[in-house]
Amino acid sequence: MNKTNLENYAKEIADKFSKMITMTHQNNDEIHFNVELNDMPKICDYIYKNLNARLATIICSDKQKNGGGFVIRYVFEKEDVFIFIIVSVGQDLSFPSIALHVPSATLYEREIKDMFGLVPTGNPDKRPLVLHEHWPDGIFPLRKEFKLETKLGRQEKEYQFLKVQGEGINEIPVGPVHAGIIEPGHFRFSILGENIINLETRLFYTHKGIEKLAESMKLDDVLFLSERIAGDESVANSTAYCQAIEKISQVEIPNRAKKIRTVFAELERIYNHVGTLAGISTDASFPFGAARLNILKERLMQLNESLCGSRILFGVNRIGGVWCNITDENKKLILKTLSEVSDDFTKIIDLLKSKSSFMDRLRGTGTIPKKTAHELGVVGVVARCVGIDIDTRRDHPYASYSLHNHKTPQQLMEHKIEMEKRTGDALARFEIRVNEVRDSFGVVRETLDLDNDALFTSIPEHLEPFSSALGYAESHRGQTLHWVMIGENNSIFRYKVRTASFCNWAIIEQAVLNDIVPDFPLVNKSLDLSYSGNDL
Amino acid sequence: MIKASRKGIVGNGIETIKNLSDSFESKNYRGSIVFKAYPTNDQKKILENICPTKALFSIKENNTMGLDNGKCIMCGYCNEATPKLIEIKNKPAMPTKTRNQLIDYSSPQISTEKPYEQIGNELKEKIQKMFGRSLAIRQVDAGSCNGCEIEIAALNNPIYDVERFGIHFVASPRHADVLLVTGPASRNMEIALRRTYEATPNPKIVIAVGACACSGGIFGDTYATTGGIDKVVPVDVYIPGCPPRPQVLIQGLLLAVDRVIKNGI
Repeated sequence: MNKTNLENYAKEIADKFSKMITMTHQNNDEIHFNVELNDMPKICDYIYKNLNARLATIICSDKQKNGGGFVIRYVFEKEDVFIFIIVSVGQDLSFPSIALHVPSATLYEREIKDMFGLVPTGNPDKRPLVLHEHWPDGIFPLRKEFKLETKLGRQEKEYQFLKVQGEGINEIPVGPVHAGIIEPGHFRFSILGENIINLETRLFYTHKGIEKLAESMKLDDVLFLSERIAGDESVANSTAYCQAIEKISQVEIPNRAKKIRTVFAELERIYNHVGTLAGISTDASFPFGAARLNILKERLMQLNESLCGSRILFGVNRIGGVWCNITDENKKLILKTLSEVSDDFTKIIDLLKSKSSFMDRLRGTGTIPKKTAHELGVVGVVARCVGIDIDTRRDHPYASYSLHNHKTPQQLMEHKIEMEKRTGDALARFEIRVNEVRDSFGVVRETLDLDNDALFTSIPEHLEPFSSALGYAESHRGQTLHWVMIGENNSIFRYKVRTASFCNWAIIEQAVLNDIVPDFPLVNKSLDLSYSGNDL
Repeated sequence: MIKASRKGIVGNGIETIKNLSDSFESKNYRGSIVFKAYPTNDQKKILENICPTKALFSIKENNTMGLDNGKCIMCGYCNEATPKLIEIKNKPAMPTKTRNQLIDYSSPQISTEKPYEQIGNELKEKIQKMFGRSLAIRQVDAGSCNGCEIEIAALNNPIYDVERFGIHFVASPRHADVLLVTGPASRNMEIALRRTYEATPNPKIVIAVGACACSGGIFGDTYATTGGIDKVVPVDVYIPGCPPRPQVLIQGLLLAVDRVIKNGI
């Protein structure tokens, strides 16, 4: 971490708003500012517009029992620093909305309204988000007085979709049970002829109460919960969770463990990107390519199983390091498999690129406007496909990623030019995934030179109550953030998860506009969004 | 192990597997948990305390310990705590017809296994008897983490290729004989799942796939989940595992068809 960046931003904000800030606190790469609720929109606006920082997440927690009321943290990300603006909400249980200045805040504010019952005044979007219409009014699951096991009746109510009216306009409802083997969600299309003129997505069908559940579990058990936030992002999510706990306990994990985390994170990226490319090929009606890519995916999953005992990489991480070792024998196996897979991968991709019908189907489909992507705060491949150059592995190096960040000035320039050329359509996302798979092969090979120290280090028996930290990782979908606040007796007081899908789902409503209905599956697959990771 | 491509990926021959014992099952695979000895009272306490999903529980009446495969998520904590008592086998736990059959006791284990293609062909014969030519499956995600979906989707890849046995996945419950349901049945999916069940024509089979579907798994029974598919719709076969591998899924299908032939619906 670059200490000067942190100091500079801390100073800049402190100077500008010296009268409004009641307390400043630093925690590794985080700067915390406590401010008054009424001053918050001004400060957030400044950080967003003048410092040009991204809104990373908004975290609410219920400290009523501990005499603190509700506390909201606005987390901004600027270069390698996370800026926290912390406010307390008063007795009237409302807070000023920043959604009109920072559009990506809308979703977080709606989430807080559903889960904590705090009203964002001035947020134009009054629809519920997490809790569906059958949920009784006035009951808020993440408040401390709400018991996890509570079973509630259903109330009769109907969700109001946006009505698009006019001559020749039809509606198509899709889901929540879909035609393929995928997760549940509802899509309401309004179409004119074949063209989509409006799409409203309705998610949270797989809401399992993960954040609430974590508050009743032991620290070690929440690790398994974090792996199951989204089955295909298990390494990224568990890494982020472990890093949060390690940061709270001020523990540095052994180098071997760091490198093993990197290897598994990249293996996860490879098998998922290959699967997504196969899905794109299916949805572009080219099953031959999909079948071949799925053979590679299966080989990669068999490799996963040989290494860690699970085909989808459950059980790799533990707090303080890793469970799973990579022996010399396994190293050979990884190198052998990857070299075969990478040869085959090149052949299939060459084949796909030589099919004009396939390429034409992707080109110009599901184009995302750069301005919209920026405003909605998208991350990962979806951000990079329009040239927004963010990657947690580079911006906030974790595990052993700092070893892979050295680029020559020429490479940096080429990278910059490449970013400018990105068009934001399905083809751009296809090509980025192909490139990332190739880069990941390289990272795994470089990282296999493991250090000979321990697999894990022990964590202090007792963690300070109400200490907190932000853990982060880059999954194959993009940045995943886990914020943990420790409670009394090593319990979890609040576990806030924001996966990449939560940021990226909003863009699909914009990406499909003016495309035809049969292109929707293709656009959806090329964005590769997780329902479970979004719904929690 | 993993097959090398001969002519390269674009022009190679048959990839589809014939035999379950084709050694692609790694010796490291965490398949199921087996008791090697009788647990002492101290060990019982440790195990009950350490298991995150409460899959291990002691039974006071006959002084034994039970393992609910429908809850186990293969984390390996029990093996780490008491390596002499508990062994992790690379053989996965097998599907059963009732929820209670998923529970193993701390007594010796007997398991049999047949080659993948043999299971498939038996299934094919039974499907012909029962449904004419083919078996149509509708997969319903009732709140899963997507892990089970990855494995179910793998059934359709060229390696496992279930279509050769006359099994295919259909787009609507109205075309389906079998509902393959995953997830702890989240509250928000409860009504959709019930409606999907009602829309499926008789005779219909419901298969609960994975630890979450069998018991709620790690997500348990909370405000947002119902604690298992059988709380919402009647279940015919339970497939344990987190997630279950493709060959266990096909074993579950075999069991389901078998059940319908014997009992009729």
